[in-house]
Amino acid sequence: MVALDGVQKWFGQLHVLQDVDLHVAPGEVVVVIGPSGSGKSTLCRTINRLETIDEGVIAVDGQKLPEEGKALAGLRADVGMVFQSFNIFAHKTILENVTLGPIKVRKQSRADAEKRARELLTRVGIEAQADKYPAQLSGGQQQRVAIARALAMEPKVMLFDEPTSALDPEMIKEVLDVMVDLARGGMTMIVVTHEMGFARTAADRVVFMSDGRIVEENTPEEFFSNPSSDRARDFLGKILKH
Amino acid sequence: MTFLDGNVGLILQGFWLTIQLLVLSGICSIVLGTLLAAARVSPVPLLRGAAVVYVSIFRNTPLLVVFIFVFIAGPRLGLNYPFLVKGVLAMTLYTSAFVAEALRSGINSVPVGQAEAARSIGLTFGQCMREVVMPQALRAVIPPMASVLIAMAKNTSVAAAFGLAEATATMRGLTNNNANERLMIFLVFALGYIVIVELMSFAANRLERRWRVA
Amino acid sequence: MRYAAVAAVAALTLAACGNAGSSETEGGADVDVADNAAEDFEAGTKMKELADAGSITIGVKFDQPGIGFKSATADAPAGFDIEMGKVLAASLGIAAEDITWKETVSDNREPFLQADEVDVVLASYSITDERREIVGQAGPYYITGQQLLVKKGSDITDVADVKGQEVCSVTGSTSLDNIRAEGATPRGFDTYSECRDQVLDGTVEAMSTDGSILLGYAAENPDELEVVGEPFSEERYGVGYNIENTEMCQWIVDTIGDAEEDGEWAKAYEATLGKGGGETPTPPEFDACAA
Repeated sequence: MVALDGVQKWFGQLHVLQDVDLHVAPGEVVVVIGPSGSGKSTLCRTINRLETIDEGVIAVDGQKLPEEGKALAGLRADVGMVFQSFNIFAHKTILENVTLGPIKVRKQSRADAEKRARELLTRVGIEAQADKYPAQLSGGQQQRVAIARALAMEPKVMLFDEPTSALDPEMIKEVLDVMVDLARGGMTMIVVTHEMGFARTAADRVVFMSDGRIVEENTPEEFFSNPSSDRARDFLGKILKH
Repeated sequence: MTFLDGNVGLILQGFWLTIQLLVLSGICSIVLGTLLAAARVSPVPLLRGAAVVYVSIFRNTPLLVVFIFVFIAGPRLGLNYPFLVKGVLAMTLYTSAFVAEALRSGINSVPVGQAEAARSIGLTFGQCMREVVMPQALRAVIPPMASVLIAMAKNTSVAAAFGLAEATATMRGLTNNNANERLMIFLVFALGYIVIVELMSFAANRLERRWRVA
Repeated sequence: MRYAAVAAVAALTLAACGNAGSSETEGGADVDVADNAAEDFEAGTKMKELADAGSITIGVKFDQPGIGFKSATADAPAGFDIEMGKVLAASLGIAAEDITWKETVSDNREPFLQADEVDVVLASYSITDERREIVGQAGPYYITGQQLLVKKGSDITDVADVKGQEVCSVTGSTSLDNIRAEGATPRGFDTYSECRDQVLDGTVEAMSTDGSILLGYAAENPDELEVVGEPFSEERYGVGYNIENTEMCQWIVDTIGDAEEDGEWAKAYEATLGKGGGETPTPPEFDACAA
């Protein structure tokens, strides 16, 4: 479903992605973890070309990423993305946030789009907030709106870029519950996160990155119980100790 | 106040032309300025470059020079239009550069994540600007935009020297014929301009309150 | 001839000291300068003050060929108004080179006089009742009328043809009001030369102001421009002065009256406005000065 081959990226002198290969099968849930600065967020953002790459090939559903323009917009419509900072459209109501893409990109009628949006809002548990503005919602609620907004496009794959890092602890669970539900429903997902609990319960595979490289890939059980690299062991030691 | 005898119609006509200039130039400047601002943040280098050149030319040229260009040089280059059109053209060429800069500051004040989210659901650049970035940028730019348009309202007086009998031209005619009442005439016309500008500030305040992000 | 006679006597006494009795002026008629003129005027008058000072500031137009025009390269303006200014200065014993020419435009003539920025104004300054309420106006020393300047071969041949046409003049001028009254669309510009350019460029159909000014432009550009139609207003040029100096009126009338009698007025006209040909008109009658 998603294939990265020999991807290289530099920020000036900094080599942020070094020869990255990653293949994600349809319905697979891949969790990307690693210390900050390891390039995992950048990796996630290259998949819908919010970041460009310098070398290599990225393909989604067998189609190579277009450079710019309409074709790229078409591809992005098929790739849902959830950001660390929610990025809910501040000037639109919750319902409008969810219907904007279906109406403008998928050319659905307003009535159809709103019906589907309300279903999705129900699914993420915030149907009561449909007519409010983002600023009236908590962070956890906003992030669930963001997930509903992405799902409204009927994406082939969902990217999550540290979706719970900006949330207060008591709100993390409500977002993770939605994500677990989504994973069980068969969605192809690439999730950059520090939530090891989510990785254990929902992931098919864990990818560990460090210094712009994929250092280790394994099933969650294997990775957490028996990491093969020193760096992964070191990293797990630091985050699991407290 | 004998200058008012038989001249009230003339004064109102003068202000009516001032308002026409103001409204037409205002609309055209906002449209052109918005396109320029969009070009400046667009992903196409040629558009960005063209917008930068436009803004630096017209923002750094005195309005009087723009008027001379449109009214004196233009006709010699075969670019002649009715006087009101030339007036609106000169005002728009100049003011749109300021509108574009005000908008650009507004666009920059919209968090980059908003545009990223818009693009990630598949909106094209144009849709992203129209649906997500510009509406938020406009709210942020109402105060600086009001300043630009208020300055423009007063700048319409430059047209007095270019064949347009707007308020300032009318004032000069009246002071020339009624030299003994110069001060009163001046006060009447100043009052007219103050009313126009106050109405604009009032409208801007209302809009700002209504559009405030909830 | 009063002052000239005194001047002649004085010239004899002063010749030995090397004072020149007359001054050559560029392009204009020769004007005899009265020497020791200060003695002719009573103490406390503005004339005495100016003669004592030996200098005078005269407000004139700089953009009206034939009347008052200063080219970018010239040191001093030239024109009929300038010649009349020299005549007035000479009677005070002030030579042409001691005159300060100050540009006045239609808008600032009254303020300049009220603030004593200029001592007199000779700037195609039409005498009107409204103006006479706040400034002194002696004259008329020349009468002209509003006419039309058009491109050669224009459909406009008379003021009756301007209805619905765009006609330019100077913003705020009486000419513009008159043209509006004739049913034309008035187009005001800052200067006469800009207005003339609009006619040449064809952005307006005609230019309208005092015939004397239009003749100057037509003379500069005889292949492209012509003055058409009979005058449709009467503009009586007067010399402006500060209304507090009532004594100046009689002095102005007498001095210019002398110039008219001894042919100096005609000479000035022929050297300036009359350059393009045509008959030299008879000088107009002066309005009486208030007692």
